[in-house]
Amino acid sequence: MESESVKTYRVAFGALLAILLVVGLYFVNRYWIAPATQRHAAKATSGDRPMAPAFSLTDLNGRKINLADERGKVVLLDFWATWCGPCQLEIPGFVKLQERYRDQGLVVIGVSMDDSVEPVRDFYREFKMNYAVAMGDQRIGELYGGIIGLPTTFLIGRDGHIYAKHTGATDISVFEDEIKTLLAADANSGVAELRPVGGTRPQERIELGDPAEIDSEVPGVNLSKLNPQQVAMFKKQLETLHCDCGCKLTILRCRQIDRACNISRRVAREQLEKFLKPSV
Amino acid sequence: MKNSLCKVWLAFCATVLAALAAAVAAPQNAPEVVAVKTVLAADGVHPGKTLKVAALAHITPGYHINDHKPTLDYLIPTEWKLDSPSPLSVETVVYPKGELKKFAFSDRQLSVYEGDLTVGALLRVARDATPGAYTLKGKFSYQACNDHACLPPRSLPVTLTVNVVGRRTPLKTLNQDIFSRLEGLEPAGKNL
Repeated sequence: MESESVKTYRVAFGALLAILLVVGLYFVNRYWIAPATQRHAAKATSGDRPMAPAFSLTDLNGRKINLADERGKVVLLDFWATWCGPCQLEIPGFVKLQERYRDQGLVVIGVSMDDSVEPVRDFYREFKMNYAVAMGDQRIGELYGGIIGLPTTFLIGRDGHIYAKHTGATDISVFEDEIKTLLAADANSGVAELRPVGGTRPQERIELGDPAEIDSEVPGVNLSKLNPQQVAMFKKQLETLHCDCGCKLTILRCRQIDRACNISRRVAREQLEKFLKPSV
Repeated sequence: MKNSLCKVWLAFCATVLAALAAAVAAPQNAPEVVAVKTVLAADGVHPGKTLKVAALAHITPGYHINDHKPTLDYLIPTEWKLDSPSPLSVETVVYPKGELKKFAFSDRQLSVYEGDLTVGALLRVARDATPGAYTLKGKFSYQACNDHACLPPRSLPVTLTVNVVGRRTPLKTLNQDIFSRLEGLEPAGKNL
């Protein structure tokens, strides 16, 4: 028969082991797994022709979605949620795009970041969604660089590379232009004239519009009235301001990485107006 | 003695495990766009009486959070939930009306909170309450968006400490500028 003190020490020892285990797991996750996932995601969302991270999910109808199986097709990957108004705005457009370009090789995949599946099923029926929707989680979000704001939509080319990332509600015509360009490309050669995500090289752009804004060192802002020294000063100024879109970046960095962000574009344009005032 | 020591140790372990689990589960990247603090209408409360308290939320400019009674079913409401440990009970929680605003992503105007928000609550103290400091724990839940994107729902822990004092102890009113603006917090009996 065990004495009372032996029992007490056993319980204490067990609890201590449990704490050490959880502490260990916490630090392994924080300092090893999460940084590794984010490094992988950073690699995937910056630099030349980043590969779309592979994932496998089960959709609402129980079918497997393997991104690898879609190689050779253009994939529109939409992170969204039912409680997100801007996401809802985009979805009827995605339904139309899927219908219009399915035969040419467009696959739309929705990844819901809702906590429970019921509202997603209701929404799926109500919006007559004609593409696969699966439940997402933090892991897949981190795989794609950390999904901070919703909606976040990636366009993946036939060659499996990410060509565009849009955070926030984006006009459906923007997606359509990009999709048409990507559909026209060959699966092996990629799309040389498209700007890979995170790249700022003007010759690899996907945007349409005013060339002075597209080719600008601050994308979306026409800097043609500034001399090189002023451009440098202006960029420094934008580096001191933080974007409120949820990206945790400076205005300059957000402009360079997420050209679709309306907030950093508006702030950068307002700053340019202020910057130009003294010299007028 | 040893048994009670063991229970304390187990409680400590459970708390540490829960805290760590919460830390692991918490989203690492989402920015905090709402800051919440609590204020009390007096430095104490007598047994059998009520005390007004409030949660003051500051919402980062450019963002909004949904009304407690959102315009549309799918929107996540703003909510302040408080546990009410004996001898305290939460009699009512009062939310302000949101501001009707039109956003690019919605055909309808939505009722939202922007800037500074005050949510009031009325606490009642049991007649037989023993004087002392009582801590109430709760959470302030919200889901924020700006005009083109949304952030995941968040719950911020909110705690406040209420001093129950003897019936003859004089009370000092606090934060009257805040509580004079709050409507709907009048108790059925005499208020503080």
